[in-house]
This record gives sequence, structure tokens and C-alpha cells, in this order.
Amino acid sequence: MAKWVRRSKVRGEAMDRRTLLKGLGGAGIVGAVGTTRLTAPALAQGANARTLRFVPQANLANFDPIWGTQYVVRNAAALVWDTLYGVDDKLMPQRQMVEQEEVTEDGLVWTFKLRQGLKFHDGEPVRAKDVVSSLVRWSARDPMGLMLRASQNELTAVDDRTFKWSLKKPYPKMLLALAKNNAPCSFIMPERIAKTDPFKQITEYVGSGPMRFAKDEWVPGAKAVFTKFADYVPRDEPALWLAGGKRMLVDRIEWIVMPDAATASAALQNGEVDWWETPIPDLVPLLKQNKNILVDIADPLGNIGSFRMNTLFPPFNSVRIRRAILMAMNQEDYMRSIVGSDDNLWKPIPGYFTPGTPLYNEEGGEILKGKRDIEGAKRLLAEGGYKGEPVTCIVAQDQSITKAMGDVTADLLKQLGMNVDFVATDWGTTGTRRAMKNPPGQGGWSMFHTWHAGADCINPAAYTAIRANGDNAWFGWPNSPEVEADITTWFDAKTLDEEKAAMRKLNKDALDYVVYAPTGFFLAYQAWRKNVTGVVKGPLPFAWGVSKTA
Amino acid sequence: MIEVSSQVLKNEFRISYEDVTTEGKRLSAVSDMSTGQTVAAAPELGDLFPPAKKRSAVWGFCVRHPTIVIGGGLLVLMLLIAIFAPYLGTVDPTALAPAKRTREPSAIYWFGTDMLGRDIYSRVLYGTRVSLVVGFSVAFLASVIGLALGLVAGFLRWADGFLMRIMDGLMSIPPILLAIALMALTRGSVGNVITAITIAEVPRVSRLVRGVVLSLREQPYIDGAVAAGTRVPMIILKHILPNTLAPLSVQATYICASAMITEAILSFLGVGTPPIIPSWGNIMAEGRALWQVKFYIVLFPAIFLSLTVLAINLLGDGLRDALDPRMAKKI
Amino acid sequence: MGGYVGRRILSTIPVMAVVALFVFSLLYIAPGDPAAIIAGDQATPADIERIRASLGLDRPFLVQFGEWAWRILHGDLGTSIFTNLPVLDLIKQRIEPTVSLMLVTLVLAITIAVPLGVVAAWKAGSIIDRLVMLFAVFGFSVPVFVISYLLAYVFALQLDWLPVQGYTPISQGFWPWLQNLILPSIALGAVYIALIARMTRATMLEVLAQDYIKTARAKGIGQGGILFVHALKNAAVPIVTVIGLGIAVLIGGAVVTESVFVIPGLGRLTVDSILRRDYPVIQGLVLLFSFAYVIVNLGIDLLYTLIDPRIRY
Repeated sequence: MAKWVRRSKVRGEAMDRRTLLKGLGGAGIVGAVGTTRLTAPALAQGANARTLRFVPQANLANFDPIWGTQYVVRNAAALVWDTLYGVDDKLMPQRQMVEQEEVTEDGLVWTFKLRQGLKFHDGEPVRAKDVVSSLVRWSARDPMGLMLRASQNELTAVDDRTFKWSLKKPYPKMLLALAKNNAPCSFIMPERIAKTDPFKQITEYVGSGPMRFAKDEWVPGAKAVFTKFADYVPRDEPALWLAGGKRMLVDRIEWIVMPDAATASAALQNGEVDWWETPIPDLVPLLKQNKNILVDIADPLGNIGSFRMNTLFPPFNSVRIRRAILMAMNQEDYMRSIVGSDDNLWKPIPGYFTPGTPLYNEEGGEILKGKRDIEGAKRLLAEGGYKGEPVTCIVAQDQSITKAMGDVTADLLKQLGMNVDFVATDWGTTGTRRAMKNPPGQGGWSMFHTWHAGADCINPAAYTAIRANGDNAWFGWPNSPEVEADITTWFDAKTLDEEKAAMRKLNKDALDYVVYAPTGFFLAYQAWRKNVTGVVKGPLPFAWGVSKTA
Repeated sequence: MIEVSSQVLKNEFRISYEDVTTEGKRLSAVSDMSTGQTVAAAPELGDLFPPAKKRSAVWGFCVRHPTIVIGGGLLVLMLLIAIFAPYLGTVDPTALAPAKRTREPSAIYWFGTDMLGRDIYSRVLYGTRVSLVVGFSVAFLASVIGLALGLVAGFLRWADGFLMRIMDGLMSIPPILLAIALMALTRGSVGNVITAITIAEVPRVSRLVRGVVLSLREQPYIDGAVAAGTRVPMIILKHILPNTLAPLSVQATYICASAMITEAILSFLGVGTPPIIPSWGNIMAEGRALWQVKFYIVLFPAIFLSLTVLAINLLGDGLRDALDPRMAKKI
Repeated sequence: MGGYVGRRILSTIPVMAVVALFVFSLLYIAPGDPAAIIAGDQATPADIERIRASLGLDRPFLVQFGEWAWRILHGDLGTSIFTNLPVLDLIKQRIEPTVSLMLVTLVLAITIAVPLGVVAAWKAGSIIDRLVMLFAVFGFSVPVFVISYLLAYVFALQLDWLPVQGYTPISQGFWPWLQNLILPSIALGAVYIALIARMTRATMLEVLAQDYIKTARAKGIGQGGILFVHALKNAAVPIVTVIGLGIAVLIGGAVVTESVFVIPGLGRLTVDSILRRDYPVIQGLVLLFSFAYVIVNLGIDLLYTLIDPRIRY
């Protein structure tokens, strides 16, 4: 029996986790002996050890990772579909489905060769034409994919295992585009499914990933079930985030949707579920006290909180007024409202990029540092020409992060003497309303709250929220030629130093213009029971390498 | 029926039944009110029971109707809290202090602080205003609108079928779901919550009123009034309304209680009053995730809400018992 | 009688039509837009427009309503915007937990409340009576989610007698199925028990004052016989009415209970769909609830004829 070692590597730390016997027999024996529940018969015990019950961050309402880009969809999709490349824990692209690639000297023609033995869940082998259709569908929705499309000559299958992408302009970040963990990822689907219009949902969930999706057991809003795909051939390298060999050590994964945090906490304590993706910070001390539960940071790349201001209409069409807000806002208040009393969970962030990553910098961030200056902010408001216009502030109540931030913002605006029009609504309505370009009083908005995964904010590649190209920018429609020029410089940079220089200038220009208001950097925990091993930190909950004893 | 008949008797024949004391002895007598003469009298019987002790009217009322007293008393207490909230040792209920979040109840923070550092004591006291406003407004509006609709449906046959179909339709949608759907249409605000819950409660009131109207409409004295030339508004005012007021007011108290609980549930689901306006419902909603570790956030508003709803229910029960025990069947 | 049933069923059609039109219009004028939610965070307004068009959301109101009504009459409840599954399938998945919850709550409530009300009426005015009535009023007054959390804390976490959450289908055994439903039923049933107990007491009081009860007592029939055979049968009509009316209350309360105890039922589906503006699902569910309510009422009216032979249609 194969003996293998899993390692959890986070920022250079290597830890030997456990040595396990591979195979059903081994786990079965462990299961039958280690019975603690009086009610479950030994046979069920073995089955129990092969089922992982996971509480996801949100409901899996739909399951098309190209059509719907919610984080939860991407997390589930990573189980069912495989990608050509995958990022490792240093966010460097590594080969996954691809065996080798070649690019011509001028950077215009990329040729890729697929690994041997890749199969879809319906038994068909993965062919280059499946890859081509999948990439066509993906590139219609993905920002980097759209860039590739814009400059492509053709994307064709050369033979069953080889495909070619020829471009008019070189695109150095090609592998990153195919490897990135930011939604939508370039998941590979069978040709017949990939031919679905990118703006319509797929109806079949067949992929070549390590788990199958049990569609007949799916109860949207309540439960989603994944079963092990026996014919998956993992790579030889150890698994590291989306790279390496994705070995599944459980036969079945059940995602149980629990909208009520108190119930989820109770269920974890009771052993009715095994792994909770997003325990709320206030409940973490209780979970830490429980000797059967382990708690650790979920994603070292964390999240960046934000509120966006509408630059099309008063009052936030004035840069000075936006700077006044930055001058007055207190990132500590925002962060404490989200993470509570634990200081390990947040950092102030005088900029827009993820702390702890190579391109992070604080250039131009003085306005967000130091003691808050309410009086100075009020003066700047007056200078900027604030005449008491109402600030229509949209706050989604059903997302704990936006709800908490919304309360802090209302208080901030009150202290500044601004006229607050607080609109408490839900995340769905926020989604619609923020897209409207009407004036605030007529169905539009002045500010709304949201947050971004730190993984999306490392560099401008997948960072739609940093763009300032006016009408095509993200909601708020910031319009700054300087910021756009800096972004282009980064894309064209050829060395790390060039990238860093571009990023520093970008940070400063974006802060000077106030593309949006960053409310702070925060981390979140994940919690799992002691009998579950192999849980690692990462931008998604990676289920490969995770196993359970009875 | 009996009530009406005795009223008729009293009015038409001017006879009163009373206990008459003649020469210190109690008799039952029938006297003609126009002449004051005793018409007939039953022979005096020895005292089978000792004479009833004299009690003050107030105490007698309290003993006979304890529910009205307790309920009314609690309600008045809540009203006073709502009106005098700023003077009862409270601070600004919306003042944030994230550094002082989730403190346990202590000498400084009598009920503790919530997740954003706001003082729960102040929020609960100010929340009394919102919950009472929601309860009373819904009760009042639903009663008035339901009364109007019920009267129209009861009197105008052509409108009856049409209106009652609509009411039936609305009633067949579970009221909470109707309220959620209506709230999801608009933004959260106290006014919208009141409107949504009122719409959900009106059908039942209108059915009740319509029922009373229909049963009264057939009475001979109504025919008599019409024959005497009384206009419809007068008929409604003098004959129908007084008979609807009793069941309506009892129903109104139940609606008030139910509206407060519905507001709490709406806030629990995230579609109630906005958080900058503290209400018991949204204080509980915000604290619900932490009930295992910081149960006091949910406890205090829950106690206040339960007590108030209890008070209103007791009041309603007492009113019903006092006004007409037979009404128990109609409601 | 057959004629009566037929007429009643026919008269439900306008009621359902009203409900259908009402719900459809309500959502049509709602400001939320499912297309924006589906499109997600990174979508541009152009993307959202394309999704709206592909969902057919940009056509005139009457056209959309007409199409929908036509499909309903053919048994096609439409397809969920979010999950792309047929609404009928979504309902079928979730109907068992909700019906189970209702059933257990109903049985629990009737078995607790009716005897309580009878005893309270029998011992009217005594301490027992007051206690029962107080208990009933408490049932109304404490919000259902507070009761739910309390029950979960005491019985599931502290005592570990019952599971905290979840639902086990009856196909996996009767006891596991019941286990998951006990706590939610008690929480949900509190209001219901209060209602039924009060109505039982009130009606029993009236009935017990009747002459024929005195006759029965004079004839030597025991207390149990009087209470449960003679009195209760005559009191049954209003009690059954309240039980029927209470079903609407149950459905409302089930929304909260299903959330707290993580029961994958119709209540949660409704709330989730409303918040997401998943129009086809909301419309299908509301129609279903109305239909159920109407059928239950019809059933109760028919039940009257069994209980009280004087009632004839």
C-alpha cells in the first residue's frame, strides 16, 4: 500500500502532518475500532469516516462557475472540474492538466499538450477540442480571457492531446490567466456542455475533477453532495493549493447549508458536521475551548473591506470630498465591527493591495494613517463644496460584513455632519441598485459596501475594482487616466522590479483619486473537528488531502 | 339575541328589573318607570346568604378582572418607558464604540453592549417606542380599514362577492410570507413594516366585521329603522357600529400583539426595521448569532417583547371577558 | 353534498386567480432584479441586460403573466431562475420535511392542547385553570425563535438528548426522523397549542353549561365519559375551525423554525427565493400554499358534517 506524506506549506513553513495508509481497508478498521457513538452501528461508522460534512460560506444556488462567479460556486466547482494550470501557495502557475507547453520567441503562439489518461466523469477521455470549447466559453466572461480574445488570431485543437493559441500581441501572463484561482477559473468541460451560451447556465455538471457532482441529491439552498471519481489520475507532486496531485481521501463530501451561525456552531460542537468554512469571530473563542475542535486562519490572503462612492453625482463627484472621507474614516472601527476583539484578525491597510504579497506597498497612504482628523475633514468637505446633499447609503443587511460596515459608516457620516439617507436592504437588491446610473435621489446611490478576497487584490490582473476607466469601470465609475496608465504599465512590465515600481505609482494615484475607500484588511477563521486532518489554509477550502477518522 | 331583546324591552316597555329595598328588606320588584309605581313584588324571603361585603368599586373591578388590570398596568408601564426613554439613564442608542463591543452587563452598561459597542439598555428602552408604534399603528389601521371594508362588503351585495374573493385570496397566503414579500419590495423602514403587516391583517378584520354586519342586517329592528326612513350611514352609526366595536376592539388587541411578534420575525429574517432605528426585533436579530456566548443581547429585548405581548394578550382576554363572554366563540 | 363539494372547488378558482395575479404583479413591480444577482459582482450593465433578455424578463407584463398562467394550467410551474431546476422538482424535494414538521406539530399540539383545554374548562376558575391559561398566553407571547434557541441549548447542547439541527427522511427510519422533528415541533407548536387550548376551554365551558350535560351527569355517566364523549364532541366544531385557521400560522412560523433548525423545507425555500427575487419559485410556492389552505378549509368544512350531523350542505 502506498504510503505518502502530506505537507502543509504556508509561506515556507513545512509541517509533516500525518502518515496514512491508503485504501478502504485501513480506514474501515480504524472506523470499526474507534466507535464513540453509542447509537451508530459499526458498519455505519466506517461509512461515516468516509463522508465529510462541510458547512460552506453560502448557499450553492446554482452551479455554473463560468456563468455565476460567486466564491461559493467556484469553491464547489474546484471539486468537480479540473483546470489546465493551477496556482500554488506562492500564486505561481503550475501545470495541472497540461503536460508541457511551448511558446514561440515572439510570444505570439502558445502550444499546449495535455497529460495522459485524463477522463471525464461520463467515461469519455478529455480531448483538445473539449479544452478549446471550454476556453472559448471562459474567455467570454473572464477579464483576462477577454484580453486574450481581443488579441487572438485563433484557438484550435491540433490533435486529441494538443491545442494551440496564437495571438496578435504577446501576453506574458497567459499561464497566470489559466492558473488563477479568481473566478471564473478556466475549468475544462466536455465540448457539448461548453458550447452553452456563456450567458446561460449549463444543465449538466460533468467535469474531469476528483469528485463527481451528485445532481440527484442536490437540494439547492440546503445540501450538495459530491462523490469520489475513481478514475481520476492525480499528478505525482504533492498538492499545493490548486497545483499538484489532488488526492481525495474521503468517498463523499456533503455540503450542508446553514444560514444560522448559532446553529452551525452548535452542530459543529455536537459533531453533526465536520468542517465549518466561516465561523463568525465572536463564536471562535467558544469553539477554541471545545477540545474536539480546531480553529485556524482560513485564508492567509484575507479580505479587503470596501465602500464605493458614486463619482457621477454630488457629493462624491468631488475628489476633495472623497479625500475628506478618507481623512475621517477609522479603519479600526470598521475592522473591529467585522472581526470583533481579536487583534490577530485585522490590519490597517493604507492602500488597495493585499498585505503579505510581493507587490504590496503603502505609497500615498498617509491620509489613512495616524490619528483621525474629523475637524480637518469637515473643512475639506466645505472646501470641496458640500452643500448638505443627502448621501444615499446602501447597506445589505443579510451579509454580516456589509451590515457591520454600514453601521460604522452611518456613524462616520453623522460625525461629519453629512446628511445620511440610510437604505437598509438585502444583498440581491444591492446588486441591482449599484448598477444604476440614476441620480441618488431617483433610484440611484451614493455609496454601497462590499469586500474583496485578498486573492483578487494582489495585482491588477483580476482586480476589476481598481479600474478607473469611467463607464466601463466597476460600480462607482471612477474615471482617472493616471490610474489607467499605471495599470497598463504594470501589464507591460517585464521584470519584478518594473512591476513593483508600477504598483507603487498605482497605489498613490488610486489613493489620490480615491477609486474607492478601503476599510481595512481582515482575516477569517475556519473551524473543524479534531478527527478531520489535512485542512490547510488557502483562498478556497481545499478538500484534497483531507481525511477523517471515526 | 337576548341582549337585543332586553334592550328592546327596556326601550319600548320602559320596564326595569331591579332590586328594590323596601323597609330594609330586599325584594325583587317590577315597577313601571313612567309612574314610579311598583307594579308587582315578590314576597320577602329570609336571607339565605349573608349580605355581600361592601368593597370599593376599584378593588372589586380588580378582583373581577385581574387580566385587564395586570395587562393594562404592564402596558402603561411600557408606554411610560417609551415616552420617557431619554430621561431614564439612557445614552444615544446609535452611538457606536467598536472598541467596547460585547461587554457583559455591569454597573456602567446595565444590559451590556452589543457587537458594535452600543449600549443595549438604551437600545431596548428606545426600542420600546418602535415596537409600540408598530403594534398600535397596525392594530389601529387594520381595524379602521377592515371595518370600512367589512361594512362595505356587508351592506353592498355587489361589492361583497368581489371584495371577499380578494380577502380570501390574501388570507390564503400565510401572513408572514405576505409581509416578507411586501418588505422585499421596498427598503426597510418603520412605515413600510407597518404597511406590510397591516395589509396582512386587514382580511381577517374585514371578515369579522362583515360577519357581524351580515348577522345584524337581518334583524327586524334594522328593517324597522329602514322603514322609519333612517339613512344607511345612521343605521351604521347607531346600530351596527356599537355591535362591532366590542369584537373589533378585542381583535385589535390580538392584532397588536401579533404585529409586534411579526415585526420581530421580519427583523430576524433581515427584512424588518433598519438597524439605525433600534427595535426589539432587530436587537434580537443582531444578537442571535451570539446567543450561546453573549445571551444577554437576545435576553433583554426578548423579556421586554414577551412582557409587552403578554400584557396586550391579557388585556385582550380581560376585555373580551368583560364585554361579552359569548364573544369567545366568534373569535 | 357532492354538489356542495363541486361548488366549493369551483369557487376556489377565482380565489386562486386573485392570488396568482396579486403575487405576479407584486414581484413584477419589485425593485430587485434577479439578473443582477445572477450576473454577480464582476458583471457590467451590458452583461446584466443580456441575462435579463435571456430570462425573458424584458417583455411586457401581460405577456409574461399570460404565458405563465398558460403553463401553470398545463402543470408546468416553470424553471427557477437561479438553479435552473424545474420549480416542481424544487418543491418535491422540500415538501417532505415541511409536511413532516407540520404533521408532527399538529399531532403534538392537538394531543397536548385539547386535554389541557378540557381540564381547564372542567376545573374552571381554579388554580389549574389559571395556570393553563397563563401557560397558553405565554405560548403566544414569546417569539418562536427565542423558544427555538432555548430548546436547542437545553436539550441538544447541554443534555445531548436530541440533535441540534437537520432533517432525516422517514425512509431512514422512524426514530431518526422523529428525533430531528421533536424540538422544532415544540417550538413551532407553542403558539398553536396556546390557540387550541384556549379555544377548547372556551367552547367546553359553554358546552358544559348546557342542560344535556346535567342530564348525563344525573344519569350517572362518569366524568371522563362526560368530558370526552359528550362535551368534546359538541365542542368539536369551533376547535376544528381553529385548527384549520392555525395552519396558516404554522406555515408562517415554520419559516423561522426551518431556519434555526436547518430543516430543508418549503418555508426556507420561500424566504430564500423572495430575497433572491427568484420569481418562478415564489409564484409556484404561493400558489401551492393558497391551494393547500383552500383544500384544508374545504376538508374542515366537510369534517364538520362528520362531527356534527346537524350540519348539512
